[in-house]
Amino acid sequence: MAQVPTALHTGEQARVVTPKTRRGPRLSWWQLVFVVFLGVFLVTSLGPLVFTLISSFKTMHDVLAFPPSLLPNPWTWSNYTEVVSNPYFLRWILNALIYAGGATVLNVIFSAMAGYALSRMHFPGRKLIFTFTLAVMMIPSAITLIPKFLVVNTLHMNNTFFALILPAMAQPFSVFIMVQFMKTLPKELEESARIDGASRWRTFYQVILPLVKPALAVVAILTFQGAWNDFQWPLVALGTQDMYTLPLGLFFFKSAHYTQYNLLLAGSIFNIVPILLLFFIFQRYFIGVALGSSVKG
Amino acid sequence: MTAHPVESSATALSPDTAGKQRWFRRGKDKRVRSLWRGGETLAAYLFLLPYLFVLLVFFILVSFYGVGLSFFTVDLGFTPPEFVGFHNYQQLFQQLFTNPSLSPFWISIVNIIKFTVIVVSVQTVLALALALLLQTLVRGKGIFRTAFYIPALTSSVATSLIFLWLYNPDGLINYVLSLVHVAGPDWLNDPFWALPALMMLNIWSTAAAFMIYFLAALQDLPREVLEAAEVDGANRFQSFWQITVPLLRPTIFLVVALGTIGTFQMFDQAKFMTNGGPLNSTLTPMLEIYNAAFNNSRFGSAAAMSVILFLLIFVVTLLQRRVIDTSIQE
Repeated sequence: MAQVPTALHTGEQARVVTPKTRRGPRLSWWQLVFVVFLGVFLVTSLGPLVFTLISSFKTMHDVLAFPPSLLPNPWTWSNYTEVVSNPYFLRWILNALIYAGGATVLNVIFSAMAGYALSRMHFPGRKLIFTFTLAVMMIPSAITLIPKFLVVNTLHMNNTFFALILPAMAQPFSVFIMVQFMKTLPKELEESARIDGASRWRTFYQVILPLVKPALAVVAILTFQGAWNDFQWPLVALGTQDMYTLPLGLFFFKSAHYTQYNLLLAGSIFNIVPILLLFFIFQRYFIGVALGSSVKG
Repeated sequence: MTAHPVESSATALSPDTAGKQRWFRRGKDKRVRSLWRGGETLAAYLFLLPYLFVLLVFFILVSFYGVGLSFFTVDLGFTPPEFVGFHNYQQLFQQLFTNPSLSPFWISIVNIIKFTVIVVSVQTVLALALALLLQTLVRGKGIFRTAFYIPALTSSVATSLIFLWLYNPDGLINYVLSLVHVAGPDWLNDPFWALPALMMLNIWSTAAAFMIYFLAALQDLPREVLEAAEVDGANRFQSFWQITVPLLRPTIFLVVALGTIGTFQMFDQAKFMTNGGPLNSTLTPMLEIYNAAFNNSRFGSAAAMSVILFLLIFVVTLLQRRVIDTSIQE
């Protein structure tokens, strides 16, 4: 990959500042090993995705050629036009956007509200609710999948967006993140808001919310990513093709075009690219998710 | 959380600051304050309302429902649910003690134990190695971190599609193997190789997510301790094994536990790529639970399997905590 020479370069930089190595300009053996490892990991983590992107412009014959060719010959858009011409494909993208968008907007609002109450208000039952929030975070989905389906079925909500969005609209982990952020804000905020005559609701959305924007971003990104990539719950909750979200649609698309990898690869690009775009726009928040949860504990 | 006396200290502050204002807006202040104070419990529950609904229905109720369900036989819509006591469990354990190799559920448990042991150990070591490698870089750390993290962002469905193609008998992976004169198997159609193929995919897609945890922990290591060791003449390997690793124990536990909980419930790839085959070699408990419930309409039995899987995850996580994170007991 093109980055390997850069890695060599940075390796050399590391050598210069390490006081122990005062040999010649050659890399010491362990630095060489490091650089090789970095290069290998870089190729293995990005290689499959880059190769998929390139190959999505290949003809079917080209995609299945052995030995595999690196570049398409000829380049073709036909995979994309054929995928999009599937009567359901755009519908699947729209459904996935509704699920991910709806879950994200609602979860950001509702978990912020819940986090505000749990971190900054005093009322009987507060500790109990917070304890339950921590406890249910440890319940694996294995135990809830089937009863969740039965609940949704009893409410006659299966195969609707309600079935997808309702369980995701206020998530315990998001509430936990909000509480962690909000409890660090100074106590005087509410006091001065109150003196200015603001109601609790106004204090919440005009004073507190602007101060926890990073938490809102983290929750928004996590929720969107989870819903956009979700496969298991839509598989259980949805029944008809016109309701499928993109991952579920791709599953059935796979059965329909079993060996047409050119189409399957083009289809998967529609699933990958939106998340990558989000990632590059909000990169610091993505990394912050893991950093925040492990540092703050 | 510790109950910080947020409100009480806020009211303690109020008389002097609010006093000045009172001259101007006595009426409003009084009204607002009584609203704030008197309605606090009501207001809090109004703020919590949507969350409490979800928490109660889709987490707490559903969990009890799941456990309760395992004592019933339920076939949706045909006959009313019937209480059968421990019958569902009895049946499963009977299979275990008579002929587990014929029981899809126990086959799936064996599969998932192999899967978890290998995936979790390899991905933990790999994640730590990647983090340590990145830690030594002076420049370009961010670029590499981003590059390594991208597989973790990609949806399981998209990666399954991609690897379906890469694992083709004439695919890229076998081509790379042929370059070093190894005849690659027909990965996903070979009962021996299908599970390892899914293991590799899983390691590939999750190792970098855990690398982030190690990176965060490495940044927080007390620098003085490592410097002191260097002064005392410890070499790189000594200071790694005797200082870095012990200090990382809580993070190692976190990564191993999260990895275990995730891999024990592996579903997407098994459903998407192999549907449990060939010859049940990639059947996972979650897939068997799904099949029992939604293909065979045995909801009660599926619920009993869920409970067993949950208990297994719970016990394993507790054991890991005991073994890895020794600091917790002290």
